[in-house]
Amino acid sequence: MRPRDGGAPMLPAQAGVGLRAPHVADILAQHPPLGWLEIHAENYMGGGPAMRALERVRTHYPLSVHGVGLSLGTAGSLDVCHLDRLARLVERCEPALVSEHLSWSVVDGAYLNHLLPLPLTEESLALTARHVDEVQARLRRRLLVENPSSYLRFTDSAMPEPLFLAELVRRTGCGLLLDVNNLYVSSENLAFDALAYLDALPLDAVGEIHLAGHTVNDADGQPILIDDHGARVANAVWRLYALALERVGPVATLIEWDSNLPALGVLLVEAAEAQGLLDRVAEGAHVVAA
Amino acid sequence: MSSLREVQRAFGVALLGGEATGALDGIAADGLSRAARLAIYRHHVSATLTDALKAAYPVVCRLVDERFFAYAADRFVTAHPPSSPCLSEYGGALAGFLATFEPCRHLAYLPDVARLEWALVRALNADDAPVLDRRALLELAAADVPSLRPRFHPSLTLVGSRWPIDQIWRANQPDADPSAIVDLAAGAARLAVRRHGDDVVFATLDTGAYTLRCLLHAGHTLGEASAAVLVEDPSLDLTAMLYDLFADETLVDFTLIPTNEEDAS
Repeated sequence: MRPRDGGAPMLPAQAGVGLRAPHVADILAQHPPLGWLEIHAENYMGGGPAMRALERVRTHYPLSVHGVGLSLGTAGSLDVCHLDRLARLVERCEPALVSEHLSWSVVDGAYLNHLLPLPLTEESLALTARHVDEVQARLRRRLLVENPSSYLRFTDSAMPEPLFLAELVRRTGCGLLLDVNNLYVSSENLAFDALAYLDALPLDAVGEIHLAGHTVNDADGQPILIDDHGARVANAVWRLYALALERVGPVATLIEWDSNLPALGVLLVEAAEAQGLLDRVAEGAHVVAA
Repeated sequence: MSSLREVQRAFGVALLGGEATGALDGIAADGLSRAARLAIYRHHVSATLTDALKAAYPVVCRLVDERFFAYAADRFVTAHPPSSPCLSEYGGALAGFLATFEPCRHLAYLPDVARLEWALVRALNADDAPVLDRRALLELAAADVPSLRPRFHPSLTLVGSRWPIDQIWRANQPDADPSAIVDLAAGAARLAVRRHGDDVVFATLDTGAYTLRCLLHAGHTLGEASAAVLVEDPSLDLTAMLYDLFADETLVDFTLIPTNEEDAS
């Protein structure tokens, strides 16, 4: 089934930030110059003051709803109860975009609170495609699917991740959320060429980009990159972002920050950096340093 | 080749502190060891769920100290993993877990403090509902009043304890006087926890008011609940109690239960 977006508003090809509870009051008081804001769907499935604040926020900014709990890659059925809650949230806050992850986090009813890796097999692909179809039919809109950050590879994986994503796009008509930090983290942890990955993706399906910071940890004496969204975007990730923008063109770009959350101003500086690159790409300028 | 379900079950076991062999089998060992790669995921699951519990139970965490809390939380996560991705809804079973968790059995009040903290979390995230317009009550015929079954605000939880959990909670707030001492012999606490505007509040109730609300909350009619509290204490001023019940803005709606239906039930 080819999803249509109907009259859904577009997310502007500008920089936005992830809306986090400690920043809500500042955002409402200052209305900083951001193109849009993104929320985690699962933080807004209850009622109360959080939802009321969101109602106010969305009168000032376009929204993107980013789910972390659908578990598109879970063997078996999707949690229809959770999908219903997502659908109600989407109806209520009319976001410009809805996105989820190429991952799984639920097994036998237990939610493991992590975006876990999938063996990249035909079985996983068929299952994920079926679930993406189901979500798009329920939400009556196109879903963007995000590339994961990885710390391991399965021996059973039969296809490279960008080809898996390309086939998912072809089968379901979904879009892609390109997380440039995830791509960089995975390419370092699993020793593959990030640029070759980028070139193997169907880039015209990319509807949003994520940027975030990571941490370099030591594992058995070797560096391992942890995607903790707890720092400024690394220089290497900014470089990969510029390379991605030259290929994709200007596209809505999010600064994500979750752990060690700093003052809103720090996120605004990062967003302004992304906006600068977006503006230059929109003018047709080269943004990759020679 | 394992099926996806087999792979995910093996991961589920390993990430919740169980045997890792099944999960390790399918992982490619390039560069870093398979165990080290799996450990990154295991650490994330445990650390983030412990953080979620710590955010929901700051007073329990303070009472037992952070290291013990992290230990207990890890055991809790293994026994009671979340069933929903909405983490603000995770952890309601902690009080029951603590009540039977041997290393803290000596802190008899701890499970009740946990119940109070869970009621606060629930109240914060509960759905909104408009408060009952009291004019609707004035339009009732006096004869109908006993058959009234009120519905409480979704944020309301009634928490009773034989310990002074309200005082324990207050003494462990960040802005509390550090020299304040809670007298554990101060007696029982009967609390109505709910959201008021954007704030979560709790009120202390006397025995009669608490029992009345518990009976109504359980679905009894006003007539049944009033009769029951008067049997317990015939000296209660029922009129004043009902006035307080309707004045404290915790009711959102009511239905009238016809007497013949009461008889039938």
